[in-house]
Amino acid sequence: MKTVWEKITIRDLAAVISDVLRKNGIEVTLVGGACVSIYARNKYISYDLNFITESSLKELVPILNGLGFKRKDGCLFENPKCKFLIDFPMPPIAIGNEPVLEFNSLRTKHGIIILLTPTDCVKDRLAAYFFWNDRQALEQAVLVVRSNKVNLTKIRKWAESEGEIEKFKILKKKLVAGV
Amino acid sequence: MLKPLLGNVTIEKILFFLETYGQGYPKGISKTFNISVNGIQQQFRRLEDGGIVVSSLEGKTRLYRFNPRYPFLRELRSILNRAMEFLSEKEMAQYYQKRTRPRRPGKLL
Repeated sequence: MKTVWEKITIRDLAAVISDVLRKNGIEVTLVGGACVSIYARNKYISYDLNFITESSLKELVPILNGLGFKRKDGCLFENPKCKFLIDFPMPPIAIGNEPVLEFNSLRTKHGIIILLTPTDCVKDRLAAYFFWNDRQALEQAVLVVRSNKVNLTKIRKWAESEGEIEKFKILKKKLVAGV
Repeated sequence: MLKPLLGNVTIEKILFFLETYGQGYPKGISKTFNISVNGIQQQFRRLEDGGIVVSSLEGKTRLYRFNPRYPFLRELRSILNRAMEFLSEKEMAQYYQKRTRPRRPGKLL
Protein backbone atom coordinates (compact mmCIF):
# COMPACT_ATOMS: atom_id res chain seq x y z
CA MET A 1 0.00 0.00 0.00
CA LYS A 2 1.47 3.36 -1.04
CA THR A 3 1.55 5.91 1.78
CA VAL A 4 0.32 9.40 0.89
CA TRP A 5 2.30 11.45 3.41
CA GLU A 6 0.42 14.68 2.66
CA LYS A 7 -2.94 13.17 3.63
CA ILE A 8 -2.04 10.62 6.28
CA THR A 9 -3.88 10.80 9.62
CA ILE A 10 -2.01 10.72 12.90
CA ARG A 11 -3.45 7.29 13.72
CA ASP A 12 -2.35 5.84 10.38
CA LEU A 13 1.08 7.41 10.67
CA ALA A 14 1.52 5.98 14.18
CA ALA A 15 0.61 2.57 12.79
CA VAL A 16 2.91 2.84 9.75
CA ILE A 17 5.90 3.90 11.87
CA SER A 18 5.22 1.30 14.57
CA ASP A 19 4.83 -1.43 11.97
CA VAL A 20 7.97 -0.63 9.99
CA LEU A 21 10.06 -0.36 13.15
CA ARG A 22 8.63 -3.60 14.53
CA LYS A 23 9.48 -5.41 11.28
CA ASN A 24 13.04 -4.23 11.89
CA GLY A 25 13.06 -5.58 15.43
CA ILE A 26 12.36 -2.24 17.16
CA GLU A 27 9.51 -2.03 19.66
CA VAL A 28 8.02 1.43 20.25
CA THR A 29 5.28 2.79 22.48
CA LEU A 30 3.29 5.87 21.54
CA VAL A 31 2.89 8.45 24.34
CA GLY A 32 1.88 12.11 24.65
CA GLY A 33 -0.51 14.21 22.60
CA ALA A 34 -0.81 11.73 19.73
CA CYS A 35 -2.57 9.32 22.12
CA VAL A 36 -5.05 12.13 22.88
CA SER A 37 -5.70 12.63 19.16
CA ILE A 38 -6.37 8.93 18.72
CA TYR A 39 -8.57 8.53 21.81
CA ALA A 40 -10.43 11.81 21.24
CA ARG A 41 -11.02 10.89 17.58
CA ASN A 42 -9.15 13.98 16.34
CA LYS A 43 -11.15 16.50 18.38
CA TYR A 44 -7.66 17.54 19.37
CA ILE A 45 -4.89 17.29 16.77
CA SER A 46 -1.33 16.82 17.89
CA TYR A 47 1.41 17.37 15.33
CA ASP A 48 4.00 15.36 17.25
CA LEU A 49 4.24 11.62 17.52
CA ASN A 50 6.30 10.76 20.60
CA PHE A 51 7.56 7.20 20.62
CA ILE A 52 9.50 5.66 23.47
CA THR A 53 11.96 2.91 22.60
CA GLU A 54 14.92 1.19 24.19
CA SER A 55 16.62 1.05 20.78
CA SER A 56 19.33 3.52 19.83
CA LEU A 57 19.10 6.42 17.41
CA LYS A 58 21.74 4.69 15.32
CA GLU A 59 19.27 1.86 14.70
CA LEU A 60 16.32 4.21 14.06
CA VAL A 61 17.94 6.63 11.60
CA PRO A 62 18.33 4.34 8.53
CA ILE A 63 14.80 2.94 8.92
CA LEU A 64 13.19 6.37 9.24
CA ASN A 65 15.33 7.73 6.40
CA GLY A 66 13.87 4.94 4.29
CA LEU A 67 10.42 6.41 4.98
CA GLY A 68 11.59 9.92 4.06
CA PHE A 69 11.93 11.13 7.68
CA LYS A 70 15.28 12.84 8.20
CA ARG A 71 16.80 13.63 11.57
CA LYS A 72 16.24 17.31 12.30
CA ASP A 73 17.46 18.01 15.79
CA GLY A 74 18.20 15.71 18.70
CA CYS A 75 15.76 12.82 18.41
CA LEU A 76 13.33 14.69 16.13
CA PHE A 77 12.55 13.49 12.58
CA GLU A 78 10.67 15.26 9.81
CA ASN A 79 9.46 14.46 6.35
CA PRO A 80 8.85 17.59 4.23
CA LYS A 81 5.72 15.98 2.75
CA CYS A 82 4.21 15.17 6.13
CA LYS A 83 2.79 17.65 8.66
CA PHE A 84 3.63 15.45 11.65
CA LEU A 85 6.99 15.35 13.44
CA ILE A 86 8.31 12.16 14.97
CA ASP A 87 10.17 12.36 18.26
CA PHE A 88 11.85 9.75 20.43
CA PRO A 89 11.98 11.04 24.01
CA MET A 90 14.25 9.10 26.35
CA PRO A 91 12.82 6.16 28.26
CA PRO A 92 11.53 5.18 30.78
CA ILE A 93 7.81 5.67 30.34
CA ALA A 94 6.63 7.28 33.55
CA ILE A 95 3.82 9.48 34.73
CA GLY A 96 4.92 11.51 37.73
CA ASN A 97 7.03 9.17 39.83
CA GLU A 98 5.25 6.02 38.66
CA PRO A 99 6.54 3.74 35.90
CA VAL A 100 3.90 2.80 33.32
CA LEU A 101 3.62 -0.97 33.09
CA GLU A 102 0.37 -1.59 31.24
CA PHE A 103 -0.31 -0.57 27.65
CA ASN A 104 -3.07 -0.65 25.10
CA SER A 105 -2.76 -2.03 21.58
CA LEU A 106 -4.82 -0.84 18.65
CA ARG A 107 -5.13 -2.90 15.52
CA THR A 108 -5.38 -0.79 12.34
CA LYS A 109 -5.22 -1.56 8.64
CA HIS A 110 -1.58 -0.37 8.70
CA GLY A 111 -0.53 -2.44 11.70
CA ILE A 112 -0.64 -2.47 15.48
CA ILE A 113 -0.02 0.60 17.64
CA ILE A 114 1.15 0.08 21.22
CA LEU A 115 0.16 3.14 23.25
CA LEU A 116 -0.77 4.43 26.71
CA THR A 117 -4.10 3.16 28.01
CA PRO A 118 -6.88 5.81 28.06
CA THR A 119 -6.51 6.02 31.87
CA ASP A 120 -2.74 6.64 31.65
CA CYS A 121 -3.30 9.07 28.77
CA VAL A 122 -5.57 11.12 31.06
CA LYS A 123 -2.95 10.94 33.85
CA ASP A 124 -0.27 12.03 31.38
CA ARG A 125 -2.30 15.10 30.37
CA LEU A 126 -3.19 15.87 33.97
CA ALA A 127 0.51 15.68 34.90
CA ALA A 128 1.13 18.58 32.50
CA TYR A 129 -1.80 20.44 34.09
CA PHE A 130 -0.49 19.74 37.60
CA PHE A 131 3.12 20.70 36.91
CA TRP A 132 2.71 23.61 34.49
CA ASN A 133 -0.87 24.64 35.05
CA ASP A 134 -1.44 23.97 31.33
CA ARG A 135 -5.18 24.40 30.72
CA GLN A 136 -4.91 22.92 27.22
CA ALA A 137 -3.71 19.69 28.79
CA LEU A 138 -6.72 19.74 31.14
CA GLU A 139 -9.07 20.14 28.15
CA GLN A 140 -7.34 17.22 26.44
CA ALA A 141 -7.83 15.08 29.55
CA VAL A 142 -11.54 15.96 29.46
CA LEU A 143 -11.78 14.94 25.78
CA VAL A 144 -10.20 11.54 26.49
CA VAL A 145 -12.43 10.85 29.51
CA ARG A 146 -15.54 11.71 27.48
CA SER A 147 -14.71 9.38 24.59
CA ASN A 148 -13.24 6.39 26.44
CA LYS A 149 -13.66 4.07 29.36
CA VAL A 150 -11.24 5.38 32.00
CA ASN A 151 -10.71 4.47 35.62
CA LEU A 152 -11.41 7.73 37.46
CA THR A 153 -10.90 6.08 40.86
CA LYS A 154 -7.36 5.14 39.87
CA ILE A 155 -6.76 8.66 38.52
CA ARG A 156 -8.09 10.21 41.74
CA LYS A 157 -5.74 8.05 43.86
CA TRP A 158 -2.80 9.02 41.66
CA ALA A 159 -3.73 12.73 41.85
CA GLU A 160 -3.86 12.39 45.65
CA SER A 161 -0.40 10.81 45.71
CA GLU A 162 0.88 13.73 43.61
CA GLY A 163 -0.65 16.19 46.11
CA GLU A 164 -3.00 17.56 43.43
CA ILE A 165 -6.46 16.53 44.54
CA GLU A 166 -7.79 20.09 44.08
CA LYS A 167 -6.87 20.04 40.39
CA PHE A 168 -8.45 16.60 40.03
CA LYS A 169 -11.66 18.11 41.44
CA ILE A 170 -11.53 20.74 38.69
CA LEU A 171 -11.45 17.93 36.12
CA LYS A 172 -14.43 16.27 37.82
CA LYS A 173 -16.37 19.56 37.81
CA LYS A 174 -15.74 20.00 34.09
CA LEU A 175 -16.96 16.47 33.43
CA VAL A 176 -20.12 16.97 35.48
CA ALA A 177 -20.82 20.40 33.99
CA GLY A 178 -20.23 19.08 30.49
CA VAL A 179 -18.01 22.06 29.56
CA MET B 1 32.55 15.81 42.80
CA LEU B 2 29.87 14.08 40.70
CA LYS B 3 31.98 14.24 37.55
CA PRO B 4 32.55 10.46 37.34
CA LEU B 5 28.79 10.00 37.45
CA LEU B 6 27.72 12.92 35.24
CA GLY B 7 30.51 12.77 32.70
CA ASN B 8 31.88 16.30 33.03
CA VAL B 9 32.19 19.17 35.44
CA THR B 10 30.10 21.64 33.39
CA ILE B 11 26.99 19.53 33.78
CA GLU B 12 27.66 19.29 37.52
CA LYS B 13 27.84 23.08 37.77
CA ILE B 14 24.65 23.50 35.74
CA LEU B 15 22.78 21.05 37.98
CA PHE B 16 24.09 22.69 41.18
CA PHE B 17 23.01 26.04 39.74
CA LEU B 18 19.48 24.83 38.94
CA GLU B 19 19.20 23.16 42.34
CA THR B 20 20.15 26.43 44.01
CA TYR B 21 18.31 29.00 41.94
CA GLY B 22 15.48 26.95 40.40
CA GLN B 23 16.15 28.16 36.87
CA GLY B 24 18.88 29.58 34.67
CA TYR B 25 19.83 30.72 31.18
CA PRO B 26 23.04 29.82 29.34
CA LYS B 27 24.57 33.32 29.28
CA GLY B 28 23.96 33.90 32.99
CA ILE B 29 25.39 30.51 33.96
CA SER B 30 28.31 31.06 31.60
CA LYS B 31 29.12 34.36 33.36
CA THR B 32 28.77 32.83 36.81
CA PHE B 33 31.26 30.04 36.16
CA ASN B 34 33.32 31.67 33.43
CA ILE B 35 32.60 28.81 31.02
CA SER B 36 31.81 29.40 27.33
CA VAL B 37 28.12 29.90 26.46
CA ASN B 38 28.48 27.19 23.82
CA GLY B 39 29.70 24.71 26.40
CA ILE B 40 26.71 25.46 28.63
CA GLN B 41 24.25 25.27 25.70
CA GLN B 42 25.68 21.93 24.62
CA GLN B 43 25.17 20.45 28.09
CA PHE B 44 21.66 21.92 28.34
CA ARG B 45 20.83 20.21 25.05
CA ARG B 46 22.06 16.95 26.49
CA LEU B 47 20.01 17.41 29.65
CA GLU B 48 16.93 18.43 27.66
CA ASP B 49 17.24 15.43 25.31
CA GLY B 50 17.41 13.24 28.40
CA GLY B 51 14.24 14.79 29.82
CA ILE B 52 16.05 16.10 32.92
CA VAL B 53 15.44 19.77 32.17
CA VAL B 54 12.82 21.67 30.19
CA SER B 55 13.09 25.12 28.65
CA SER B 56 10.78 27.93 27.68
CA LEU B 57 11.23 31.31 26.04
CA GLU B 58 10.84 34.29 28.39
CA GLY B 59 11.08 37.32 26.12
CA LYS B 60 14.20 36.59 24.10
CA THR B 61 15.82 34.42 26.73
CA ARG B 62 15.58 30.63 26.87
CA LEU B 63 15.14 29.69 30.51
CA TYR B 64 15.91 26.20 31.75
CA ARG B 65 14.60 24.48 34.84
CA PHE B 66 14.31 20.92 36.12
CA ASN B 67 11.64 18.89 34.36
CA PRO B 68 9.07 18.17 37.08
CA ARG B 69 8.03 15.12 35.03
CA TYR B 70 11.48 13.52 35.10
CA PRO B 71 10.76 10.29 37.02
CA PHE B 72 14.03 10.33 38.99
CA LEU B 73 13.98 14.03 39.83
CA ARG B 74 13.52 13.56 43.57
CA GLU B 75 16.45 11.15 43.73
CA LEU B 76 18.64 13.34 41.50
CA ARG B 77 17.98 16.40 43.64
CA SER B 78 18.74 14.44 46.76
CA ILE B 79 22.16 13.44 45.34
CA LEU B 80 22.83 17.04 44.28
CA ASN B 81 21.95 18.36 47.73
CA ARG B 82 24.18 15.78 49.38
CA ALA B 83 27.06 16.60 47.03
CA MET B 84 26.63 20.34 47.64
CA GLU B 85 27.24 19.79 51.35
CA PHE B 86 30.82 19.00 50.36
CA LEU B 87 31.45 22.25 48.49
CA SER B 88 33.93 24.61 50.12
CA GLU B 89 32.62 27.73 51.83
CA LYS B 90 34.44 29.78 49.24
CA GLU B 91 32.77 27.99 46.33
CA MET B 92 29.37 28.22 48.01
CA ALA B 93 29.78 31.95 48.59
CA GLN B 94 31.12 32.59 45.09
CA TYR B 95 28.54 30.69 43.08
CA TYR B 96 25.56 29.59 45.10
CA GLN B 97 24.68 32.42 47.47
CA LYS B 98 23.58 35.16 45.10
CA ARG B 99 20.69 37.29 46.27
CA THR B 100 17.44 35.68 45.15
CA ARG B 101 14.90 37.69 47.14
CA PRO B 102 13.20 40.57 45.30
CA ARG B 103 14.80 43.99 44.97
CA ARG B 104 12.98 47.13 43.86
CA PRO B 105 14.40 48.88 40.80
CA GLY B 106 16.68 51.79 41.66
CA LYS B 107 18.09 50.21 44.81
CA LEU B 108 21.72 49.07 44.86
CA LEU B 109 22.20 45.31 44.70
